[in-house]
Order: sequence, then C-alpha cells, then structure tokens
Amino acid sequence: MRTLLDAPSKVEKRPVMGRSGPRLKRSQREALAAYLFILPDALGLAIFVALPMLFSLSLGFFSVNGFGGFRFVGLANYQRMLIDPLFRQSLWVTFVYVLILVPALYVAGLGLALLVNRPMPFVGVFRSMFFVPNVVSLVVVALTWQVMLVDKVGFINRIFEFFGVSGYSWLGDPNITLYSILFVTVWFLMGYYMIIFLSGLQEIPREYYDAARIDGAGPAATFFRITLPLLRPTSFFVLLVSLVSAVSGSQAFDLIYIMTRGGPDNSTSLVIFYIYQQAFQFNNYGYAAAMASFLVLILLIVTFILFAVTKGGRFHFT
Amino acid sequence: MKPSSQSEVTSSVVSSVTPTENPVPNSALSNLTRRELIIGGGKVAVAAAVTSLFSPFNIYVKAATPKSLSFWQFYGPGGGSKMQDQWFQDMVKSWNSSHDVKVDLLYVPNQEYMNGSKLQTAFASGQGPDIFIISPGDFLRYYNGGVLVDLSQYMEDAAKKDFFDTVMETRVVDGKIYGLPMEVEPMAMYYSHKAFTDAKLSEADVPKSWDQLIEVSKKLTKKNQFGCLFETGPGYYQNFTWYPFLWQGGGDMVTPEGNKSAFNSPGAAQALKFWQDTIKQNVAPRNELGGGGGDVVGNMVAGYCAIQNLGIWGVSALREGAKGFEYGVFPCPTPPNGKPKSVLGGWSFVANAKSKDPETAAKFCVWALGSMSDDSIGRVVDWCIKAKSDISPRKSALDKATQLGGYSDGAMKVFKDEVFPTGRGEPRVPPEVYKAVSDAIQACQLGGANPEQQAAEASQNIDAYLAGYSGAPLK
Repeated sequence: MRTLLDAPSKVEKRPVMGRSGPRLKRSQREALAAYLFILPDALGLAIFVALPMLFSLSLGFFSVNGFGGFRFVGLANYQRMLIDPLFRQSLWVTFVYVLILVPALYVAGLGLALLVNRPMPFVGVFRSMFFVPNVVSLVVVALTWQVMLVDKVGFINRIFEFFGVSGYSWLGDPNITLYSILFVTVWFLMGYYMIIFLSGLQEIPREYYDAARIDGAGPAATFFRITLPLLRPTSFFVLLVSLVSAVSGSQAFDLIYIMTRGGPDNSTSLVIFYIYQQAFQFNNYGYAAAMASFLVLILLIVTFILFAVTKGGRFHFT
Repeated sequence: MKPSSQSEVTSSVVSSVTPTENPVPNSALSNLTRRELIIGGGKVAVAAAVTSLFSPFNIYVKAATPKSLSFWQFYGPGGGSKMQDQWFQDMVKSWNSSHDVKVDLLYVPNQEYMNGSKLQTAFASGQGPDIFIISPGDFLRYYNGGVLVDLSQYMEDAAKKDFFDTVMETRVVDGKIYGLPMEVEPMAMYYSHKAFTDAKLSEADVPKSWDQLIEVSKKLTKKNQFGCLFETGPGYYQNFTWYPFLWQGGGDMVTPEGNKSAFNSPGAAQALKFWQDTIKQNVAPRNELGGGGGDVVGNMVAGYCAIQNLGIWGVSALREGAKGFEYGVFPCPTPPNGKPKSVLGGWSFVANAKSKDPETAAKFCVWALGSMSDDSIGRVVDWCIKAKSDISPRKSALDKATQLGGYSDGAMKVFKDEVFPTGRGEPRVPPEVYKAVSDAIQACQLGGANPEQQAAEASQNIDAYLAGYSGAPLK
C-alpha cells in the first residue's frame, strides 16, 4: 500500500527546494513530517503557554511596579511569602476548598449520572436540566446566587425561615461564606461531571450487570463490585480535572470576585484571588508572580502524586 | 478523480482556473512539490511566530503627532446615567471642535474600572490611556509609578487658588497639582420617610450620636428590613465610608508627618467597635443588595434598610432612579465627645506622563476643569448640580451653583451647609496601608474580632510597611 511519504518518482528525482545533498532516510523523513504536523500546535503552546510561564517565573525574582519599573530582588518575593499571614491564610482557605470541592463534585457528578442513566420518561430533559447551569455565564450565576443568598430577604433565607430556621448570613458570616461559595460551585459544575460519568457508565457492558443479577448480587454489591471498578479511568479523569481546577481556582475566582471580593474577613480569599489582589490592586506584580509559581509547583506535586498512585491513569481490570 | 499526489492536486487546481482569474503565474504553483510546500509553509510559520514574538517591543515606537488622545472613565459613552454620559460627550465635542488633537472617550464599566484589571494591565503593558480619572485612594499608586503629569504648569494662578484647599490637599505634591477634581462627594446618612413614619418616628428622632443611631435602628428593624446599612464588602470604598467614624473620635491612619502609623488609638478602636455593634445587635446587614452599599435605589428604595450611609451622589441617583421617593439626609452621628466629621471623596482628571502627547493631555484636563474661562467654570457647575449631585471643588463654581439654586433646599442644602464644612479630603495611602485598615474593619465588623487588638495589629502592619516606603508623603 502506498503511503503519503512514498512520493511519486517524478517528485523524488527533484532536488529539495533547489538544494543538492544527501537524501534523508525514510525514518528521518517520517520524523520530519511528524514534527511539521505538530509544529503549528507546538508554536502556539510555546508562544501562548510556555513563554508566559517562563516570563511569570522570572518575574518572581523582580520587584515590578506595574508602570515599567523592574528591579532584581532575588528571592525576596519568595521570602515574603513565608512571613505573609494573608498568604498563609489564603493557602489554608484553598486547602479547605479543595478538600471539600473535589469529593463533593465526584459524589454529585456520579450520583446524578447514576440517576439519569436509568431508563425513565423524559430522561433527556433531566440530563439537560442538570447540565444547563454549566452553560450559563459564571457572572450571571454569581449575581443570581448573590441575590438569592442575601440576608433576610434572599430566597434561601425564605426557605429556611419556612422551616423555622433564620438569622444566617450566607455571604456575610466568615464561618459560613466559603461553604456557600462551595455550594454554588458544585451546583454549577456537577452537570459537567455528570456527563463525563454518564459516558463512562454507558461504556460498561450490560452483560456484567446481567451476570451479577443472575448470581444474586444486590444494588450495593453491583455498584461497588462492577460499576465503581469499571469507572476507574473516568474517576481518574474527573479527580484530576476537578483537582487542578480547584487548586487553581479557575471557577471560584469569578464567583468570589463578584459575590464576596475575598471577604468577609478574608474567609474566601483563595490563593488565586490573593494573587489577583497583589497584582492588580496593589501593583505587586513580582510578588504575585512568585505566588503564582508556588501555586504551579503545588499543582505539579499534586498531579504527580495522583499519577503515581494511579500508575499514570492506566488501569487493569483483570 | 482521486489525485495521487499533492503535485497533481496543485496542477489540477491551477489548470482549472483561467489566466484572467489567477494573478499568480501558473508555473509558480505548479512547480511546487509537496515537500517544498511543507518546508516553505514552515518557514512562513516560523517567520510569523518570530515576528509576533518580538512585536511587543515594536509598539513603543512613538508616533510623530498623535491625532487623538484616549480618555478612559466610567460615565460615557453608553454609561448608566444619560445626563452624566451627555456631559462627557458635550465636553469632548466642544474640545474636538476647536483643537487639532482630538479626544476619544472610552467607557469602562464602574466595577471594572475600580476593582478590575483593565487600567492596571494597560499601564503595565505601556498602553495606558492618555487621560483618565482617579480617586485620592489611588493617587499614590499612579504618582509613585511616575505616570502623572504636573498640571499646575498649565494653570493660571487664579485658577489654582479657586480650588478648595481641603479638596486639593491629597492631589498636590511639592506644590504641584497632579489631579483636577471634577466633584466633591461628602458622606452622610440617608433615611426613608416612609420607614420612619411606619415606625412612628419623626424628624425629631433623627439620630445625632452613635448610641441614638443604634436605638433608632432597632425601632426601624423589621422582618424584611434592617434599621441601618453600612458598606460590608472589603475594598477602597468600605475604607472610604468608614473614615468619618475614625476621625470623629480623634483617630487617624498615620501621623501628620505621614511616616508612622497612628492607627493604634482609642479613636480607631471605638470606630471599629461601632460598626461591629450594628452587626452584633442585628440592626445592620452583613451584605447588601444591588450594587452594594453605594447603591441607594437597590437598598433603601427597595426597602432593605431604613437608614443608609451614603455619599452625595445618592441625590442624583434618587432623582433619576426613584422619582417620588421621600427621604432625608443628616450628618454622620458622632461618638461621645466626638466632633462631626465627613470624608470628601470625588474623582479627578489626570494626564498620563507616558502618553503619546502628555502636554496636550494635561492641557485638556486644565481646559475642561481648571481654567478661569466661563466655559470651564460652567462645566463644573453643570456637572455638580445638573448632571450629578455634588459639591463643587471650585469656589467660583460653588458660588455660581448656589446662585442657580443648586443647594437651596433638601438634601443638597444639608450637604453644602452641614456636611461639607466638616469634611476632610479622602486620604491618599499606598495599597498596603489601605489593606491593613481594611482587614481590621472586616475582622471587627463581620468577624467579631477584638477592636483594640485589631487596631494594634493593623498599626504594626502599617509601621512595617512604612519603614521601607519611599514615595510621595501620605496624607
């Protein structure tokens, strides 16, 4: 069979771009073609991802005033991180946020997927309903929930009042607000993870369930012995994506920026929000870059651990 | 027909196009091999990438004569208030009709302008606006960054003296003026007549002391309504609204020399405790509706609170957004043995020293707000009593606005006669100092922390920062 690289003899006889010299071997030509194919993407990554990352990393060693002034300060920004109580607090807030968000998204996503994986009328409507929050702008989500969670007159307080519970400030009490943000984040994201779990569930062969039923397995045994083990690749993906998203605060930032601005009393000041504050409100770009580098380091470590524990996401079912 | 190679594809495509339709000679394409195409394309891609990589360094090449200057602000065109939008457009139209270098307005939404990153990223990349507006709270950031032009060199002496000293204090460094205020915005308290009537309260019950405010607020607090409202969101605005309470009891952020903290004081601790008490006694909310504590229509008019701590801009907001709503204004209540105090906010026109044409940008600011011409004075009058509701920063404009009846009754009269005379300019402090104070306010108001302890901690943080501070004096 002819391949693309088996060029017609007419072409092979010509010198390449007018040059004369030793011809490339077939393996070299294949490698060259492969590199050329990935070149556009590699260039994009280099310019828009790798270069800014390198720039940000080097910025951490400078004092930058935001108006063109750069001064080399060595490790001063990193030393400042060690003694900055607000940075330590933001690390703790991020830790609590990740610790709750990742399992909550896993459970909510999987729970919904199990629910809408069953044959029932209007299942498509239910799937769409659960997924809809994910297509709404985060700004709209934040503004809507802000009104619903406001003191006294908010919809949520009205519901609680109906059950005789009142006096809670969902966005104004430092002991509660982070959990309110977590709730809204789970509400927003669970539909997305439901879809991923749903695709994982639908790949599990039906025969396994039939065999289990014949052997007398109940719903719990079926779930823990068949569903969960066969969902391991999907689970790995969900855990990895939700973990990276939680640590980097990619969704939380918009919600916090609009709903709480890091308050009350810095209780929702995630690392990503504190970095934003230092960079764009205090003009400490160097310090912000140092903290961003530290955050990337944390992400790398966490991802490495996850890969190590799961052997790179490769699972064996036998 | 399925082509067997790229050269055949190229040939067949080229041959199907008539010579008149194809400006490229046939031979140029038909002679290309697949390999030549890939290698040539690769070279073009690399060249494009390298060019784009280094393009940021090309944008600093200065244009010889700029044709227009950009003016960033949060009023127009397309802003929330038609009258304020129109005022800006009329001003620019007037300038553009008589000057070669034109001015273009760029509207940035209020939240993005104050708390967003648009202005900061623009300056960081050397693409800041030629003209923009700032509040005193942000003055040091830009002054210390070296991007503000000395406007006084383009001003007449009479015009310099025409601005109130209390207003200019935080815009002047070494006798040079770096910002021309368009307005003065004092803080006071607004109250709803209906809420007072419903609670069987009258004007005689308007609180004059902190204790009275809490007592009256208790009477006004209902199932769906808070008695009073103070800003709860952390940020420059919350600090701004809290300063009068700090000053009333003799507290301050820094010493008069501006080189040491003065925050660890009974005045600061009692002001922190006062705001905490309003929350602890459930007479004030922990968060607000609408656009936050600065939004009177979204809160007091909506029935969320009966009394609201708010600036003079609330008068025009009510005029435009809640016609017929009956309300009153009174000065901020004082603590025992305290003095009436208010904070004078307001935004200034400033020119970017790194602009394409800083001189024209500065001249525009002076032409608009700081010359002795009738147009310039009239523009300030129009802004303060027609487009918006503010105290004029200029004596001549205040006199003229008073003659026109702009402060003859109601809330505007209270602001001019009772609140403005007790005012002090919004302090200019670096972000680190503002943050230390903000954290203390938040910790006490919403976190229930010990006010004395928070005042001491904030004071330590301020001192630690000021030990290494170099820049314009804090005021």
